Amino acid sequence: MAFEKILTRYQDVPNYTGTIDEYIAQGGYQALPKALREFQPADLVETVKRSGLRGRGGAGFPCGVKWGFIPKDSPRPKYLVCNCDESEPGTFKDRMLIEEEPHQLIEGIVISSYAIGCHLAFIYCRGEFVSGAQVLERALREAYGRGFLGRNILGSGFELDVHVHRGAGAYICGEETGLLESLEGKRGQPRMKPPFPAISGLYRSPTVVNNVETLSNIPHIVLRGAEWYASIGPPKSAGPRLFSVSGHVERPGNYELPMSITLRELIFDHAGGIPNGRRLKAVIPGGSSAPVLTEQHLDVGMDFESLAAAGSMGGSGGVIVMDDTVCMVRVGEIVSRFYHHESCGQCTQCREGTAWLHKVLRRIEHGQGRKEDLDVLLDMCDNMKGKTICVLSDAAAMPIESYLAHFREEFEIHIRERTCPFEGRGAF
Amino acid sequence: MPTLKIDGVEVTVPAQTTIIEAAERLGIEIPRYCYHPGLSVVGQCRMCQVEVERMPKLAIACNTPVADGMVVSTRSPKVEKARRAVLEFYLLNHPLDCPICDKGGECPLQDYTLAYGPGESRSVEEKIQRVKHKVLGPHIVFDAERCILCTRCVRFCHEIPKTGELGVFSRGDQSEINLFPGKVLDNAYSGNVIDLCPVGALTSRQYRFQSRPWDLVRHTESVCPLCSNGCNVVLDVRHRQRGEELLRIRPRENPAVNRWWMCDEGRFTFTYLHDPARLRVPTWREDGPRGEMAYDDLLLRVARAIRRVVEAHGPEAVGCIASSWQANEELFLVRRFFREILGTPHLDFRVRPVQFQPSDASEDGILRRTDKTANSRGARDLDLRPGPGGLDAAGMITAAAEGRLKALFVFEEDLVRAFPDGPLREALGRLDLLVASSLFPTETTALAHAVLPALGFAEKEGSFTNFQGRIQKIRRALTPHVASRSLPEALRELALNLGRDLGGIEPEQVWAAIGERPGPYQGIAWKDIGDLGLLPEES
Ligand SMILES: Cc1cc2nc3c(=O)[nH]c(=O)nc-3n(C[C@H](O)[C@H](O)[C@H](O)COP(=O)(O)O)c2cc1C
Ligand code: SF4
Ligand code: SF4
Ligand code: SF4
Ligand code: FES
Repeated sequence: MAFEKILTRYQDVPNYTGTIDEYIAQGGYQALPKALREFQPADLVETVKRSGLRGRGGAGFPCGVKWGFIPKDSPRPKYLVCNCDESEPGTFKDRMLIEEEPHQLIEGIVISSYAIGCHLAFIYCRGEFVSGAQVLERALREAYGRGFLGRNILGSGFELDVHVHRGAGAYICGEETGLLESLEGKRGQPRMKPPFPAISGLYRSPTVVNNVETLSNIPHIVLRGAEWYASIGPPKSAGPRLFSVSGHVERPGNYELPMSITLRELIFDHAGGIPNGRRLKAVIPGGSSAPVLTEQHLDVGMDFESLAAAGSMGGSGGVIVMDDTVCMVRVGEIVSRFYHHESCGQCTQCREGTAWLHKVLRRIEHGQGRKEDLDVLLDMCDNMKGKTICVLSDAAAMPIESYLAHFREEFEIHIRERTCPFEGRGAF
Repeated sequence: MPTLKIDGVEVTVPAQTTIIEAAERLGIEIPRYCYHPGLSVVGQCRMCQVEVERMPKLAIACNTPVADGMVVSTRSPKVEKARRAVLEFYLLNHPLDCPICDKGGECPLQDYTLAYGPGESRSVEEKIQRVKHKVLGPHIVFDAERCILCTRCVRFCHEIPKTGELGVFSRGDQSEINLFPGKVLDNAYSGNVIDLCPVGALTSRQYRFQSRPWDLVRHTESVCPLCSNGCNVVLDVRHRQRGEELLRIRPRENPAVNRWWMCDEGRFTFTYLHDPARLRVPTWREDGPRGEMAYDDLLLRVARAIRRVVEAHGPEAVGCIASSWQANEELFLVRRFFREILGTPHLDFRVRPVQFQPSDASEDGILRRTDKTANSRGARDLDLRPGPGGLDAAGMITAAAEGRLKALFVFEEDLVRAFPDGPLREALGRLDLLVASSLFPTETTALAHAVLPALGFAEKEGSFTNFQGRIQKIRRALTPHVASRSLPEALRELALNLGRDLGGIEPEQVWAAIGERPGPYQGIAWKDIGDLGLLPEES
């Protein structure tokens, strides 16, 4: 069961504070010179492709393939943008990575920039991450001081500047094109695709957007090889993953594990199981947008494929565990409240649908439900999915559909008895 | 060029055409709210979704380029459901304002709901209340409850006048259109947002509550007379039983002239047509005070006065200052009357500095031009200028002051305003005969012996030639005052009184004569001038 920590190995160093010297002392900034000296940019892209690294931001898109979309012949500058907007409820691993091991991310950014031919990179930081942004600023200064950033990095002739940009408090600015709009100083709302950012991204130039965790993997792949990386976990979900476990578990927190582990192992072996001897009722395995799983799914693997086959998704790696005191209608009310609040509002179905979902669920939870409501909810979800500019609309609809699929009876009780049978107890 | 099938019909269109445009060629209107051909495409309303074979999701027709072999359905059950859903979502918070809403009766939200929407609402939630009738600028009022957030108004202000007064504020269902702080929606083209708004959220302060669309029974195609651009317009006139009145001017699409737009000045300046201060009846003043006089009598007196002048001093003692407010047909007949029938060389239309330049200029790079009259180009093309040895407008005034010019006709120009510096009043006072036509009393009409009430552009048939040289028709939308006569009618009568024949005065007849003469309009017939006008070099 023992798994070699890779991204979080620093946790085993006593009193580690994430300064550049500490990072170097545990082997940091060795991948960068290796990348600059031994690899052509195209070789790096190939290596990352072979490693099987998939995006950790939510969609699980193969990282090397995305880099490969950057046009080689474009006269425009190329940009790398690190997505550190981490706002998906139940997800808190990027925050830990930037606060505790910022140089791993910076090293990943420099190597990735070299791979795609970028000389100006941005870290788009969630607005609330005030201290995280400060840590990053400090770390960037350190890296400039050592010649890992700036002109002529390590004598290679390669140059790169990195800026930290703080958002203003919008979940939708985590969606990569909403992020780019925001970074350009505009209203944070997603763009129509195509064109994808790789063709026309920041300032209409070729741009790669990658999650913090995704980029933090890069130095390790360069240092230890694509084959080593690909050997970790199931073949299609290679490498370690940080699972943010929250809710009704003994030991909530971030767990770095291969995706070959099962939901059961994650909850019971690593996070210590359900407290107070209560029964597991429901698990959201990949952030609030993921459809819910139940006890019957405990042996599902935590890789992208297995979770999809079970009707949910790996998403952002946020695992929310709920015991049998939790009211699923209230969960629905809370989750839909979030999307209602966060929809950017440009698409009709999402702007109106997120609000309507929330209002109906709130009504049911407060004993004002009507028999017709459940079918209306399901039809509304169908009308919201797959029809909008970005997938926030889907992300709002899918969980509700799944709550109704697995816990319809609970909704019906609320409606029949005109009250919440869990009165007095909170969700989460 | 790709060939695709839309609802079973094949169509071949240039590459890069979008499905919505390709469908239009087949006469299939795919419902839309945010899309407008004159604005950037944002794909936000999701009303235009269609089903494309082998695409897993519905595609938005406004932003999906066609491809060879594509098979599109605009009416499949999946499309119908998606459309019904969008309309249901829109109506969740839409007020039941239709009976008091200016847009009611010509509202795409009503129309699409009727055609594609749900019959009744499944929502029992309370509607969101928002700001009603907020004044955004001199011409526009905003009702946030009716707004469907298509952002057409926002994009218009950013992209066409580039003034950017409007934006979307807040997000999600709290989103609201509003002015940026310190801004007022007062750009020179602000009225276009009224036409662009697919609901009754942006309404005209001038037209608000004036009429229901179904009482506007006449929609006359015409041309704006307020500058040399000649924006194509529609004149909306209320039913005679309710009091015939021009209540609204809207732009009419003409890609070569004004695209979909017009300026506020052209849109909102028309109430003068119904102004009670207008001249309605001809008047005559000889030695005593001015008095009303029947048209026929007046024209007899004018003819007599002309004959006296010509017999005593020759035709060179008569001059005529025509106007670039006049239509081509009027100008042609004026020229024929003075140059050919009376035989005087003193004819001109230039009373504004801009008319002495080879051409006027664009005022703002959009539509508005520096010549604020409609037809300087037509007057030039029809040679309303001095003949050999003839005097220009200023020369005629000098000649009048020196007693060389004895009779002067002034059509639709206020010379006292046009030549404020000279001793104009004295000059005009020396004339044996001053005839002036005008919409309103002016200082010039005050001095005239005979005053003829003129017709406004909405009261006559004819054409203007815009700065490009494009001949464009104006059509009669309003019935002229019973006592008034068109200038061609008056000139024909006057010619008859002098024993001469002016020829046919209907536009077809006038153009038959124009087309016979050498010049820019040679070979052109009235029927050649289509709805979008005629550029002679293109014909
Ligand atoms: C509504 C929404 C919110 C998102 N929020 C985040 C986020 O906070 N952080 C993140 O890395 N990706 C987020 N994503 C995913 C990004 O769009 C994008 O796929 C990701 O940053 C790509 O990086 P990756 O390939 O390294 O995962 C979000 C997507 C959506 C639709
Ligand atoms: S789906 Fe929702 S969040 Fe995404 S672009 Fe549309 S309105 Fe905005
Ligand atoms: S905008 Fe259209 S649907 Fe809305 S109140 Fe006005 S007429 Fe009715
Ligand atoms: S005011 Fe009218 S044009 Fe502007 S966004 Fe609302 S509905 Fe669209
Ligand atoms: S018209 Fe296509 S999305 Fe609005």
